[in-house]
Parts: sequence; C-alpha cells; structure tokens
Amino acid sequence: MATEAAPMDEKAKRMRDLLSSFYAPDPSISTSNSSINASFDNINSTSFDADQYMDLMIKKSNLEVLLQRHVQMAAEIKNLDTDLQMLVYENYNKFISATDTIKRMKSNIFGMEGNMDQLLQKIMSVQSRSDGVNTSLFEKREHIEKLHRTRNLLRKVQFIYDLPARLQKCIKSEAYGDAVRFYTGAMPILKVYGDTSFQDCRRASEETIEIIIKNLQTKLFSDSESIQARAEAAVLLKQLDVPVDSLKAKLLEKLEQSLDGLQIKPEEASKLVEHDDSSNDTESNDQHPAKIHEDAVRGFSEAMRAYREIFPDSEERLFKLARALTAMHFENMELYIRKRVSAADFLGIFRIIWEDVVLMDEVLPEAALSDLSAEAAQVTLKQFVARTFSHLQQDISDTLLKFDINQKEAVEGEVLKVILEASQKAVLQGTTNIFQDFRQLLDENAGIFIKMRDLISGWIQKGFQDFFRSLEAQFLVLSGKTSSSNDIEGKSSDKIHAGLILVLAQLSVFIEQKVIPRVTEEIAASFSGGNSQAFDNGPAFIPGELCRVFHAASEKLLQHYIDTRTQKVSVLLRKRFKTPNWVKHKEPREVHMYVDMFLHELEEVGKEVKQVLPQGTFRKHKRTDSNGSNTTTSSRSNTLHSDKMTRSNSQRARSQLFETHLAKLFKQKVEIFTKVEFTQESVVTTTVKLCLKSLQEYVRLQTFNRSGFQQIQLDIQFLKAPLKETVEDEAAIDFLLDEVIVAASERCLDVIPLEPPILDKLIQAKLAKSKEHNNNTVSS
Amino acid sequence: MQGGSSGIGYGLKYQARCISDVKADRDHTSFLTGTLSLKEENEVHLLRLSSGGSELLCEGLFSHPNEIWDLASCPFDQRIFSTVFSTGESFGAAIWQIPEPYGQSNSSTLECVASLDAHVGKINCVLWCPSGNSDKLISMDEQNLVLWSLDSSKKSAEVLSKESAGMRHSLSGGAWNPHDVNSIAATSESSIQFWDLRTMKKVNSIERAHVRNVDYNLKREHILVSADDESGIHLWDLRKTNVPVQELPGHTHWTWAVRCNPEYEELILSVGTDSAVNLWFASASSENKTAGSPVEASRQRVNPLLNSYTDYEDSVYGLAWSLREPWIFASLSYDGRVVIESVKPFLPRR
Repeated sequence: MATEAAPMDEKAKRMRDLLSSFYAPDPSISTSNSSINASFDNINSTSFDADQYMDLMIKKSNLEVLLQRHVQMAAEIKNLDTDLQMLVYENYNKFISATDTIKRMKSNIFGMEGNMDQLLQKIMSVQSRSDGVNTSLFEKREHIEKLHRTRNLLRKVQFIYDLPARLQKCIKSEAYGDAVRFYTGAMPILKVYGDTSFQDCRRASEETIEIIIKNLQTKLFSDSESIQARAEAAVLLKQLDVPVDSLKAKLLEKLEQSLDGLQIKPEEASKLVEHDDSSNDTESNDQHPAKIHEDAVRGFSEAMRAYREIFPDSEERLFKLARALTAMHFENMELYIRKRVSAADFLGIFRIIWEDVVLMDEVLPEAALSDLSAEAAQVTLKQFVARTFSHLQQDISDTLLKFDINQKEAVEGEVLKVILEASQKAVLQGTTNIFQDFRQLLDENAGIFIKMRDLISGWIQKGFQDFFRSLEAQFLVLSGKTSSSNDIEGKSSDKIHAGLILVLAQLSVFIEQKVIPRVTEEIAASFSGGNSQAFDNGPAFIPGELCRVFHAASEKLLQHYIDTRTQKVSVLLRKRFKTPNWVKHKEPREVHMYVDMFLHELEEVGKEVKQVLPQGTFRKHKRTDSNGSNTTTSSRSNTLHSDKMTRSNSQRARSQLFETHLAKLFKQKVEIFTKVEFTQESVVTTTVKLCLKSLQEYVRLQTFNRSGFQQIQLDIQFLKAPLKETVEDEAAIDFLLDEVIVAASERCLDVIPLEPPILDKLIQAKLAKSKEHNNNTVSS
Repeated sequence: MQGGSSGIGYGLKYQARCISDVKADRDHTSFLTGTLSLKEENEVHLLRLSSGGSELLCEGLFSHPNEIWDLASCPFDQRIFSTVFSTGESFGAAIWQIPEPYGQSNSSTLECVASLDAHVGKINCVLWCPSGNSDKLISMDEQNLVLWSLDSSKKSAEVLSKESAGMRHSLSGGAWNPHDVNSIAATSESSIQFWDLRTMKKVNSIERAHVRNVDYNLKREHILVSADDESGIHLWDLRKTNVPVQELPGHTHWTWAVRCNPEYEELILSVGTDSAVNLWFASASSENKTAGSPVEASRQRVNPLLNSYTDYEDSVYGLAWSLREPWIFASLSYDGRVVIESVKPFLPRR
C-alpha cells in the first residue's frame, strides 16, 4: 500500500485533506481507505473516475441526497458553461480593438520626413547671422573695457593722493570711523607701491593715522567720553591693528586695583553700619562711608558695564573680577562676624553687600553673581547663626565662672544665689536676644533672605538643638563630672567649687522647665517654616529630647554635688577612724572634734542649698501619711535602741545581737537611698544619710574597747539633735544613727554604754563650749 | 537554676564579710565563707550547690579561732585555703587545711598548714598565685608585701621576699594578674600600684584616691577593673593608665567589691554598701576605642546596668563568681546571708 501511495505524494496529500473535510461527519473511516478512494472520487482530480464516483454515491447515499446532489451538480455545470462563454466573448472583443489601433498608426507616419528637413535649414541660417554680428562688435567692446579699467585706476590714484588731506579733514570733523575706513581701504595699494610712487603720500597718511590712533586712545581712556564712543574707538583701534589687548589688560588691571578700595574691611565694617544709621538723621552728612562705598561700587559696576561693551571678549575676565569682589565681600564678612556682631549690624553689612551684588548683577547677568552670592550668603549666615550660639554659650559659662573666681577670695555670702540669678538671666536674656536677632533676619527683605527663609528657620532650630546639647556637655565638664580629654582641665577639676555644681544643677532644671518651653514656643511661633523641607528626618529642634537631656543632667549634677559634699565628709571620717587605736581608746571626756567639722560641712551644704534650691513643701506630716512604714520602722528601731541600752547594761550582748537580727528580719527595710529631689530639704537629707551610712561603714571596720564604744555613743548622741533639726526625714536619721551605735556595739569587745546622766553632762559641756566659742568669734 | 531570678539563700550564724569560690573543686560548684564575730566562736562554712542547682548545702562546718576578715581558696587544692583574721587587737594570717573525711562530723577543727606570721600591722589579704599549681602566696598588710612559698606537705611556708610600700601608702588590698604571674596590683590610699614580684619593685601606678577593690579581667589582657568609694567603677587599660577606658556609675553608697566574670568578658559584678549587687555589661574594649572618647562612649551606651539584685538586708561585702559554672555567683551580706544567683538570663548572646 505504501508503494502505491508513494508516487502520488503531494497531490494525494491535498486530496486527503479535501476528503477528510468532506467526510468529516464520519471520522471512523480510516485514512488509508480514504486515500484509496481519493484518487477516484475527487471531481477535480485528473484520475477522476465517474463510474466509481457514481458507485460510491449510490452506495453511500440515499435517494434524497442523491437527488439533491444531482440538482446541485446540474446547477454547477450550468454555471461553468456561462463562465466559459463570457471568457471567449471578452477575448474576442479585445482582439478587434487591437487591430483597429494598429491600422491608425500606419496612416499617421506618412509626411513627417519633409517637415524635418525644413526645420534644419532654418536653424543653419540663424547661426550664420549671429556669427556675423559678433565679429563686427568685438573691437568696440574691447576698447570700452580698456577705458573703464583706466578710469578705475585713475580714481584709485586720485584717492590715494587725496588720502592725507581727507584724513586731516576727518580728524577735524572727528569722523574717525571714516578715516579708518579710508585708510584701511588704501592700505593694500600703499603696501605694494608705498616705497616707490606714493612715498610722500604714504608718509603723510601714516602720520595722520598716528594722530588718529593717539586721539582714539585718549578717547578710549577718557572716562568722560560716552561709552559708545569709547567702544567705537576701541573697535577702530582694533581695525588699525593697534594691539588692543594690552590696552585692555591695562584697563582691567586698573579696575582690579580699584577692587581693594571697594573692600568692606572688617575693621571698618562696624563704622560703615554706624554711619549708615546716623546719617539717616542728618542727611546733609555726605561723608558717611556707606554712601562713599555705594558710589564706589556704582562706579565700579559702571566701569564694568563700559568695559563689557568696549571689549566684548573680556567678559570672562570681568566675571572673574565681579566674583572676586563678591567672594571678598563674604570673606570679609566672615572675618567681621568672628567678632561679636549684632544681627542689625550683620544685616546692615549684608544689605550693602547685596546691593553691590545687585548692581553688578545688572551689568553682568551672565556671571551668575546672585547664585554665587546666595551660596556664599548661606554659608555666612549659617556661620553667623552658629557663632551667635557659641557666643551665647560663652556668655553663660563666663557668667558662671566669673563669679566663681570671686567666690574663692570673697566671703561666701550670697554668691551662689548671685551666680544662679545671673546665669539664669544670662540664659534667658541670651535666648531672647537670639530670637530678636533671628527675627530680624527673617524680617529682612533683601533678595537672598526671602529664598533662604526656610533654611534659616531650619538652621535656627538645629542651632538651638546643638546649643542646648553642647551647653549640657559644658555643664558636665564645668562640674568636673566628665573629665574632658584635656589633661590640664582634668587637673583643675579638683578645684571646682561644690557650690558651682549645685548652681549648674539648678540651672539645668531652670533650662528644662523654663527656657526650653519658651524656646519651643518661640520657634513654633516664628521659626517653624524650615521643618518640612530642609530636614526630612524629622524636625531639628526636639524639645522633648532636650528636656530629657537636661533633666538627666540636672539629676546627674545634683548627685555629683551630693557626692562631692559627702566625699569631703567621708575623708574627714576616714581620718577620724584610721588615726586612733580604738582598742586602746581612753575614756571619753568630750564630744570629738570631727563632729563639729561634720556639722560645719552640713551647715555649708545647708547654706549653699538655701541660696540655690527652692524650699520643698513642708514634709513632716506628709511623711506620716505616705510612707507610714518609715515611721513605724523608726519607732521600732527606737525602742530597739532603748531596749538594747538597758540590756547591754545587764551584759546581755549576745542575745541582743541575735535580737537585732530578728528585728531586722521582721521590720521593713528603711529606704535610706531615696531619690533626690530639687528641694533644700531633700538634698540636705540625702547628704546626711550618705554621711551617716559612711560613718556606719567606718565603724564596722574597727574594733572598739569599751571607751571607744562610749566615745562613739557620745558623738552620735550629740549629733542627734542638730541633725534632726536640719533634716526632713527624722525617721531615717534616727534609724541610721541607731545603726551606727549598733555597728559600734557589734564591733566592741566590751559593750557598756555610758550612763545617760554622764552622756547628758558631756553634751551640755560641749554645747556650752561651742556657744562660748561662737560668742568669742562674734566678739572678736 | 533556669530563670533564677530569686536566688538560693543560706544563712550563716553570725555576721560575715568574705566568700570565696573553691576553684580547685572541679566536680562541684562550691564556695567557702567565714564569719566575722568578735565575741562568738567563728566558723568556716564549705557550701556546695546541689547538682540540680536548686539547693545550697553545707558540706562542712569548721570552727575558726578568730573572726575572719579575708578568705581565699587555694587554686590547686580544694582542701586548702587562707584566712586573715583578727583577735580584735591584732591580726594574723594562716593557711588551713580541711581535715580529710570532711563533711562527716558537724564541726571539726581545721588543720593549720602554715601561719603567715611576718606581719605586725593590720593584714589586708592573702593572694594565691593564679597560675594554678604554683605554691606562691602574697600576703599584704598596710605597709608591706610579703611573697611566700608554701610547702603543704611539710606544713611550712617561708618568706621569699618582703618589701615595704612605705609609710605613706597604706595598702588596702590587691589582685594578682592572671596574665602575668610576676605582676600584682595593690590598692592604696591614693593610687593603684603595680608591683613586679621578681624585683619586688613598684613599676607603675594609677593615681586614684580611695580605691577599695580591683580585679583583673581573666579573658581580656590589660583590662583592670577598680571600684572606689565615691565615683563608682572604672575600667582601665593597663597600657594607657591616664584615663579610664570606661566608667560605670557604681552604687548609691560605696562600691565595696568588683569582680569580672571568668568566662564572659563583658560581665562585671559589683557589690555595695547600699545593700545591692549590680550586674554590669562593660562592652568597651581598648582596642577599638581611641583614648579621647571613653567619656563619649560611656554616655552613648544605653544603660550598662543589666540588673540590680536588691534583696539584701544589709551591706554586701562578699562576692565571688563560680569558675566552674561561670553564670553563677555567690554574694554575702553583712548579716551573714549567702545568696547564690544565676545570671543566665543576662548572658550575652553568642
């Protein structure tokens, strides 16, 4: 089957396709079958076999289909017949029209040759005639041409001979332009024949031209001439091949030299502004420097305008000059603000500079001076803002330290209070001034400022943020809390007066509570602009953070104050406990000296605190309300104390110690180390507590004999009254004093307390003595 | 000890100041502590943490003739330790040995190995050479340093060298450098002094008043931690001693003792007279910080204080990390309470 199918290849394939579409309703018939049938069934194929087709049809279809098929086929045959007829007819038609056309062409070609010969003859005759005319006119034309040339030459000679005279005339009428034109026109001839026939003429004209050049040069240099005239002169000079560049250079150099005169020297700057102000009142004063400066700049810019027109190619140089001037202005400005300058003065100078820039910008818009100066102005302004802040910081620390020096020499008095008030004022006044100054900056309407308003706000906010941060850091350095990396300063930190630390602490509180809210308000009111654009990462001024910082600083400083104070006492106590041999202590005769010194230290703390810190709300009753536990513990330890006294009398130290332990187990822990508050009482109390705790610890490190213990007992007893007077939290003090006694008794080899009457007597003696001492010092 | 926020407690009968980790005990986490009672019979307690870590057992109770001011366990023999004691009037120091079948009888007497009797004044401490099996000892009184050689089998100790620090410097304690066995740090009234034991000469010092305690960092060479009364805790780089590497605020009252963790180099413990134990995280290492910035660095750190254990009734004087389980420490408050805590929740992630 495959061998049969092979020769049919292409065609068979097409057949198969056709058949498959035809037999689509009956897809079960295998393709091989259909391929056999294909060769016989397809009407269009060459191997169509009508009989077989018929057979197939009859076999496969019923009558109705056969009839339909018959009708369809008949119609198709009819159609094909008519199509064939139409084609034959159309072909015939076309053939007939073609024969007609060929016939017409044949008749038209006859008679064309004769016409062509006639045309040739006529053209020949026209040509011969034109040749004749040409030869007859040739001679005359040559003559005319010669004459014309002679005339031109003569005219040139005439011109050259006339040149000197004409130039003279031009000089007289100052028509230098014409003169130059004539001269340059005659130049080529003079160059060729100058040495021979036109020698005199050339010399004469050169002489006059010399004069003209000289005249032009003077014209160029004279400021009185109009710019146009000068520009023309320059152009003419250039045409005359005079080296203009050197002239230009000379002129520009002169201009450059004049720059020096235009500088706003930092030393004179303030004068400039002052006079600017004063001259507003007395207009007659025409000597004031601002005016002079303005005129000078105006002159400068005029000159620049002139040169620009005269030497259009010198723009670059002029740009450079103008830029140099602007840059110089801003440099000087930077120098100027290195000193302390008020915003008004700053603005005054700034305005002058801006005016200068505007003047120059008019002349040289391409120099982009305004951009340049805007940039420079930004830098300067930023510096100004930064400097203002650093000045303020300097002021504040100066105020703080100024008094500190006095303090060491003078009597204590109310110095701390003075310092505190002065520094508070310095901070407040300083920030107010800064705001005033900056508001001026914002209100300023000079061109650049308007553009920079947002930026300025941003800088100011950032400035405040940085200012407060660095102020805090400085406080800590001043207090000696953070030793600066500098060794020299580190050494001086020992000498820092404790009072100063206290002042710093209180000042921090003041800043946190008063200054920062005020600054926040002010910023919100007038400087809120720059936030959104300039600082994408949040606003630059974060009062919350600053408050936190200062809060922490104030606490740190207060703690530091207490630390330095207790340190002093601690040294005192250390000496007291290290020196004697407590095991061989002699019987107590009087209250020991160190108690006086301790109380004196406390007194000093009290004094300092009173000057600086506010008085707390009276706490005595509050304590019983809120921390009732404290009072109970104190009463407990009190009873314990008295218990112990009686018992130790009866030599029951062992059980007593046990009982202290037991008692300790049951009672609540006394909060010795509470948080320090910013009140006089709290600070004093904390100091006393810490000192007493130290006392207890020192006692624990020693071993006492009976007399040693009694000495401690006496000292503590004496301390009780004055301490309670000064201190807010009596319970804690009671507790701590008892703890000292307990500690001493624990460390005592032989606990026998002093009898109360003896104790009393000794204390009275001490009181009397100190009174007497006081009287003595008062009287002396 | 998982999540050991509440420590394991153990009560001594009397007041006490000193506790020491028994380093030579490789099988158990144990501590030695001694009481400080002027008038009562003093005791040395050998405490052992039960294997589950939930109980603190008394393994041995030994009577000690005098009140104990300092106690140090021998690093190579768990049965040997040193004490500094006082009779109230005079001081003494001795090496003791725990009797062989210890733990059987409730109270047995200690065997005195040697008495370190070369001192006259107040003895501060006895230091064992940290190298592990060296027989060297240092005893320190207020003026003198004495280097001893101990022969435990012969029960004798002989003075190798003795040097006076001078009257002006009253020594108060010290630490032996674990990285250099020839160097010790001694605290004095006005400075931390560094001594070279070969020459017995002072080689260096850090001027710092009232330093109460120092400790070397076992993991980081050149780092020394000091604690003083007023200004807290300082970390020093021994190569640059003019400025501390880092400052930690310390305690509300005096910072009494400070100890570096033997394993986790950043962890520092301190105890203070404000009845608290503070756990610090001191990340500053001298290598990556310039000398000028320690202040800045310490300010930048959020809060170096990891935890404050405040459940104490009295001042805490005794403090010891366990070498075997370095996340465990023992603290001892004056009222004789030993508290074992675990710092596991605060260990740095590794």
